[in-house]
Amino acid sequence: MGCKAVKYELVSGFETHIELSTKTKIFCGCTTQFGGEPNTHCCPVCIGLPGTLPVLNREVVRFAIKAGLAVHGKIAEVAKMDRKNYCYPDLAKAYQISQLYAPLIIGGYIELSNGRKIRLHHIHIEEDAGKLIHQHGDTYVDYNRGGVPLIEIVSEPDIRSIDEAKEYVEKLQQVMRWVGISDCKMQEGSMRCDVNISVRPEGTEKFGTRTEIKNMNSITNIARAMEYEYERQVDLIESGGKVVQETLRFDDATGTTSSMRSKEDAHDYRYFRDPDLVTITIPREEVEELRSEMPELPADKFERYTDEYEIPEKDAALLTKYRSISEYFDKAIEGVKSPKTVSNFIIGQIFRRLETEADKEVFDVATTPEQLCELVKLLDSGKIRNNLAKSTLEKMLDSGKGATDFISESDMGGIDDSALLELCKNAVEGNPKAVEDYKNGKEKAIKALVGNVMKNSRGKADAKAAEEKIAQIIRNA
Amino acid sequence: MGTISKIHEMLTSKQVSCKELTESYLRGIESDNTALNAYVCVTGDEALKTAEAVDKKIAAGESIGLLEGVPMALKDNMSTKGVLTTCCSKILTGYKPIYDAAVWELLKAQNAVMLGKTNMDEFAMGSSCETSYFGGAANPVDIDHVAGGSSGGSASAVGGNLAAYTLGSDTGGSIRQPASFCGVVGLKPTYGAVSRYGLIAYGSSLDQIGPITKSVEDAALVFDAIAKPDKRDSTSLGAKEDTYSKLDNDIKGLKIGIAREYIDGVRDDVKEAVLAAAKVYESLGAEIVYFDLPVLKFALPVYYIIACAEASSNLGRYDGIRYGYKTAHYNGTHDMICRTRSEGFGEEVKRRILLGTYVLSAGYYDAYYKKATDLRGTIIRAFNNAFENCDVILAPTVPMTAFEKGHAVSDPIETYLTDICTVPVNIAGLPGVSVPCGFNAKGMPIGMQLIGKSFGEATILNAAYKYQQAAPEKFKDTKWGVKL
Amino acid sequence: MVTREDVENIALLSKLFVPEEELDGLTKSMQEIIDFADAIAAAPASDGGFDNINNLSNVFREDEVVPSYPSEEILKNAPEQAEDHFLVRNRE
Repeated sequence: MGCKAVKYELVSGFETHIELSTKTKIFCGCTTQFGGEPNTHCCPVCIGLPGTLPVLNREVVRFAIKAGLAVHGKIAEVAKMDRKNYCYPDLAKAYQISQLYAPLIIGGYIELSNGRKIRLHHIHIEEDAGKLIHQHGDTYVDYNRGGVPLIEIVSEPDIRSIDEAKEYVEKLQQVMRWVGISDCKMQEGSMRCDVNISVRPEGTEKFGTRTEIKNMNSITNIARAMEYEYERQVDLIESGGKVVQETLRFDDATGTTSSMRSKEDAHDYRYFRDPDLVTITIPREEVEELRSEMPELPADKFERYTDEYEIPEKDAALLTKYRSISEYFDKAIEGVKSPKTVSNFIIGQIFRRLETEADKEVFDVATTPEQLCELVKLLDSGKIRNNLAKSTLEKMLDSGKGATDFISESDMGGIDDSALLELCKNAVEGNPKAVEDYKNGKEKAIKALVGNVMKNSRGKADAKAAEEKIAQIIRNA
Repeated sequence: MGTISKIHEMLTSKQVSCKELTESYLRGIESDNTALNAYVCVTGDEALKTAEAVDKKIAAGESIGLLEGVPMALKDNMSTKGVLTTCCSKILTGYKPIYDAAVWELLKAQNAVMLGKTNMDEFAMGSSCETSYFGGAANPVDIDHVAGGSSGGSASAVGGNLAAYTLGSDTGGSIRQPASFCGVVGLKPTYGAVSRYGLIAYGSSLDQIGPITKSVEDAALVFDAIAKPDKRDSTSLGAKEDTYSKLDNDIKGLKIGIAREYIDGVRDDVKEAVLAAAKVYESLGAEIVYFDLPVLKFALPVYYIIACAEASSNLGRYDGIRYGYKTAHYNGTHDMICRTRSEGFGEEVKRRILLGTYVLSAGYYDAYYKKATDLRGTIIRAFNNAFENCDVILAPTVPMTAFEKGHAVSDPIETYLTDICTVPVNIAGLPGVSVPCGFNAKGMPIGMQLIGKSFGEATILNAAYKYQQAAPEKFKDTKWGVKL
Repeated sequence: MVTREDVENIALLSKLFVPEEELDGLTKSMQEIIDFADAIAAAPASDGGFDNINNLSNVFREDEVVPSYPSEEILKNAPEQAEDHFLVRNRE
């Protein structure tokens, strides 16, 4: 037979580094701003001058706790800082202050759209390294980024496909931006992934030998690298070879992975407690305080939108992609009968005006959610019809003005609730015969009453609403 | 003797101007440093500038602080802006820091006159000062003997009257041991009392800066000036109380404990001198109690494991990229780093880096580093228990007196043993002061150590002061340096 | 038991070259120091562990920007520099 006898399952886990958007570095008061002239965001502490000491930025701990709450992790009561020793020119002290033995966050998960939960092992805080530029064999070092705070989110090897991997990264990015701890810009390096990957015959339990692809900086490349590495490992095993546990780099140009190992790197980080930093204890009150400040998370909003408002999943996903959109939506639906109408306006007309993802994330729209709300209420009450609402929204989006600036009384095709009620009451009072018939079970008799309302409203009333109202008046009489 | 209080009195009574005083110290260094090798860097111009400022104040009739205008020096492992700071290592050749250590900021603000930087064992790793890249400092009592280490230059400068006081650092005895060898007073404060910001790290959880002085009174003065909390050192707390005002408190009823383990095994002359000091204390109304501290037998290996582990990490940063020495010829970055380090560090430093790397490496961490850290807890609790029955502990500072030059270098382990009485204090983070308490047959000084409870500097300095009052003959001056 | 390979490995981790001819001597010397350190193996098991010397916790700085140093200061002690970078020159 031509096909392979065994099918291989992909097994993957992620180590994701995210730069926190605190104002200052993790252990000194230098700015964390991206870029800047080389070595201008530096001080004796972050270039590791002899005798300098680190002092932990309180905000880093708070941001990490928020990250932990965002992924349903357990916030440790006691956390400690460790030194991870390795010598490399971008690491000014020859050790990175990180956490191994007692990280801030334990466990947690990211839930995928297929219902699978990718479990997290832990989240820890650490410092970023500087930047190396290799030019004609020379090495230039810039320590501006050295000491920028990071969280590292370490997942369990729960990912089973490239699609899951992509969604995992997207969800992580979404939720971390959502809670405001990072901009997660992969292209600027404020979010980077190390991808662990192995394969095993489908249906077996035992994990295969894994490789680690370092420093992936786009979702597209993550997918490409994983695809290549999956095929490479399967081919290797199929041809009787063995996967070697090693660290790989991905070459963007060729789409292939290659070994990063050299005899110069002996990998033994000799972690030990950093004697320069004291224990971190996190009172439960502080966790609760932070929890109470947390925004409603995208997954919870998604559930609310789909369950309560019956918004299609696809639309709910778009509404919850960025916090700004969902907050706009939540304001715009206050008091409206049909949130789905609001959703349609946003995803339809408003999105058309926001060309890029960045625009959508910023969601800078001329029409306020309150104005949109007002428009939808007019539609809800039947005063205007859908076509008019749509064209009005365009004018609103162009001008920033409210709906009533564009719709005159005469435009209002419908009549409002109180007017309708008045007409219905008149119809009931003026047609006792029909009312009597209706009461005696002649259901069709109500049509005469509705006809009366339609006539007196010159056709503007909503017949169905009128019928409901009339029935109600008779019942309550 | 050129004590701080004497100098202060001379300055305020205008017996001498600060400039004249500074000049005489600089002349003293000029003539005697060749023999003592206490200084590795002299900052005469800066010193004179400060002296002139102090003189102006005095001339204007302003009052000056006790430390103001007093000539002093810093161990070469304390960061001084614009002034060479090398840890007496080739690897920090030419390094001029861009910031000041916290202690130097405090003293500078009081117009301390810094004469220069003092000699030390390379990166404070040694007990004789002989691992210094610049050669060891000599003992001012007898220059054929070592000054001790690692703050050998700081002790030699004070004993040799080339500074009124100096600051040293003490990781396993590096203030107390050379103070004992040179017949001067050396205080290792409680861990956290003095900021480590700007102290070039050896063993970060053990290092403390403290004064080396000619008298107990001076030690109290300097300690009170430098023991301030510092936001830049997360482990810093500052002193709990001032010590100077309590120096003369009555010590009647003070319970002085002697741990048998500290006395057994030290040389007879040392033992006799310490027990004689105990007698002096009894005559002052103190009570001597004996007790056992069996965990002390683990102190030395615990110390070496922790200190070397931390050092191996602290010294990783010397890579020839940001400061200091860089090898001339290399092939690639990795090769450059390895050559720079191999050429830049001395043998003892390399030995301790390797040991530290070993005890932290995979497979050995639990047996060595983790076990040593656990034992550290055990030793701390043993001291706490001991202090339930006494107020201070009396012990020898070193089991012997200063050895002759060249003797220490031969056998590392034998050299490590000289630290046996001093390291427990660092392990437990306690304060300890070494005070001269006698001389051996050859006239070399013997030191005793008073160990206090955590942040109990006032108590041990009080006890030390009372001893100095009762036995002033143990505090002998040397022939070197400035005579006041 | 400290082996030659151990010493080679820790030398590599420590970024130190040990010349071939010094390897045996250093291995022996390391073994002696390790034997000395082995004394703690006989020590009683921990009776409560150790956290940090004064049992301190929660020492933080606030997230407030402090002006950085000018790059000339930062680079002042660099053995080699170019274009405001620290430099490791790898060509002649």
